[in-house]
Amino acid sequence: MCCNQYTPGTDGLSERDLQPVSHLPFFKERIAGMQFFDPHVHMTSRTTDDYQAMADAGIVAIIEPAFWLGQPRTGVASFRDYYSSLIGWERFRASQFGIKHYCTIGLNSREANNEALAEEVMELLPSFIYKEGVVGVGEIGFDDQTAAEEKYYRLQLDLAKEAGLPVQIHTPHRDKKRGTTRSMDIAIEHGLNPYTVIVDHNNEETVQEVLDRGFWAAFTIYPFTKMGNERMVQIVKQYGIERIMINSAADWGISDPLAVPKTAALMKEYGISDEAIRTVTYQNAITAFGQSGQIDEKDFAAVKDIDQSQKFSGNTVLRGGQQPRVDKNSLIIR
Amino acid sequence: METLKNYLGQIIQQQVSGESWQWLQEKVSNIGNAAQFNLAFAAIPRKVGKNSIKIDEEEIKTVQQLRSGLSIKNWTIDRLCRVWLLMHLDADNQEAYIRTIENLFITADMNEQVALYSALPVLAYPEHWQKRCAEGIRSNIGDVLKAIMCNNPYPAEQLPPAAWNQLVLKAFFTEKPINEIIGLDRRANEELAHILSDYAHERWAAHRTVNPLLWRCVGPFIDEKIFPDIERIAASENKEDQMAAVLVCRQSSYPPAKALLHEHSALQSSAKDSTLSWDAIAQKAGGVQ
Repeated sequence: MCCNQYTPGTDGLSERDLQPVSHLPFFKERIAGMQFFDPHVHMTSRTTDDYQAMADAGIVAIIEPAFWLGQPRTGVASFRDYYSSLIGWERFRASQFGIKHYCTIGLNSREANNEALAEEVMELLPSFIYKEGVVGVGEIGFDDQTAAEEKYYRLQLDLAKEAGLPVQIHTPHRDKKRGTTRSMDIAIEHGLNPYTVIVDHNNEETVQEVLDRGFWAAFTIYPFTKMGNERMVQIVKQYGIERIMINSAADWGISDPLAVPKTAALMKEYGISDEAIRTVTYQNAITAFGQSGQIDEKDFAAVKDIDQSQKFSGNTVLRGGQQPRVDKNSLIIR
Repeated sequence: METLKNYLGQIIQQQVSGESWQWLQEKVSNIGNAAQFNLAFAAIPRKVGKNSIKIDEEEIKTVQQLRSGLSIKNWTIDRLCRVWLLMHLDADNQEAYIRTIENLFITADMNEQVALYSALPVLAYPEHWQKRCAEGIRSNIGDVLKAIMCNNPYPAEQLPPAAWNQLVLKAFFTEKPINEIIGLDRRANEELAHILSDYAHERWAAHRTVNPLLWRCVGPFIDEKIFPDIERIAASENKEDQMAAVLVCRQSSYPPAKALLHEHSALQSSAKDSTLSWDAIAQKAGGVQ
């Protein structure tokens, strides 16, 4: 959940910055053969073109945190259908592109403010958090930092503890530093081991405390409103790679589902070692969320095991439901 | 059903560790507790894994004797365990039984959906699940569709004609192995024949191929409207189309179709092939996953 409204024309941008950019996949050469894990991306808001590009760039697995959909839901059935789509339809959609899809399930902070509905959602959560491939409770935490947000954040921390699941914390856009500190204080107060808690959307101002207190520090590479990847390179140079991970948090806003592989390519250009890159763009996310017992790296290969399209006695049949490639540069659509 | 349940239990016991079997036994003995049952249903793959079961022809045959049409060939162990666990639910209280299972459907993940639809032929109150089954056919998840359409005797036994016709049509649309649809010949009907003929015309108009198995459901209903289709596939250069034309004309009592069998030289050579059958066409034409 990460979009502040971006208004073109602010931040010293000119008309030129609004023109379409022609994309050269130059960065892909630098990261050829590398595998990536994006532990925060909202694929329900993305197209099949994104899935295809992500697979091509080496993303083998993702985590889709439950979040808000850009406008508030008005009934508990909408939540149920959303959660069930995360473990059903979206998981299938990802598999069609050879990407292993996990999710975290939770009541997001914004909608925690509708208390009557929040009560119903809390009753619903146990039906979903124990499902296969649910690797944590998330994304939960603070937005406005209201009393209602705090109440449901606390209740969900208890739920995560009871279920033995990691927690994925969304830190607020506004009053971020204090909100981050408060989120960690409360997690500790509820007896959670910081090593099972991933604090998301960090920046230069929050990272030190998060790492010092033993939590995982996730960074969202998201244009205009969050981290840029040049800054990310500097963070890794300064703070190292222990308990640091990178995600795209791509959603329905102007965001980039290739943020993780692009940042890897940039790190490589700045002389960061392959092993360090692998740690922050793949391994750390698996180690942190793998504490759920729900991540098996063998499954990344299994979901890829499906050939794109196979000639079978002269007929083209798709195996396992995988989608055929479409040549985007062709004028002809068949 | 009791015998089938015990037999599936034996198969499971051979395939899982002693520890997992004991866990399953505990869950069965605690089946009356709804919350515990839901957790157990979700947790099964964590306990027993997701490997394919190892099963021989004899065992496959026994299962089919105990529940006609049911095949557990190519099932994974978690799917089998979930179906088996569902068979232990107490069905005496119809309302509670249905509520418990419907609740599983609406919160099911992808693999749970596969297991739930696979279980339709062994659930109590079979007529209740007609709408649920028809809803499943609307899914776009390949494995879910396959669990309903292929080697599952429930749809042919229970679905009303319109839902059945959707199942068959969607199986062609989504390229499922048509020869694994149970009751395909028995449930053939005139309306479906005309729907499929229209579908073939759309495919031809788009310069796409038509699965020759489509004509299997059309054969008994050849009339003056459908007959030109049969002439077209008889004249096709594709061997499987010709084979389908022979089988269709044999099925049909429409005199021009009978006559076509003798007129066409290419058909006569196909007709001499003693191995000619829909299964043979299915093997050759592909679409078999």
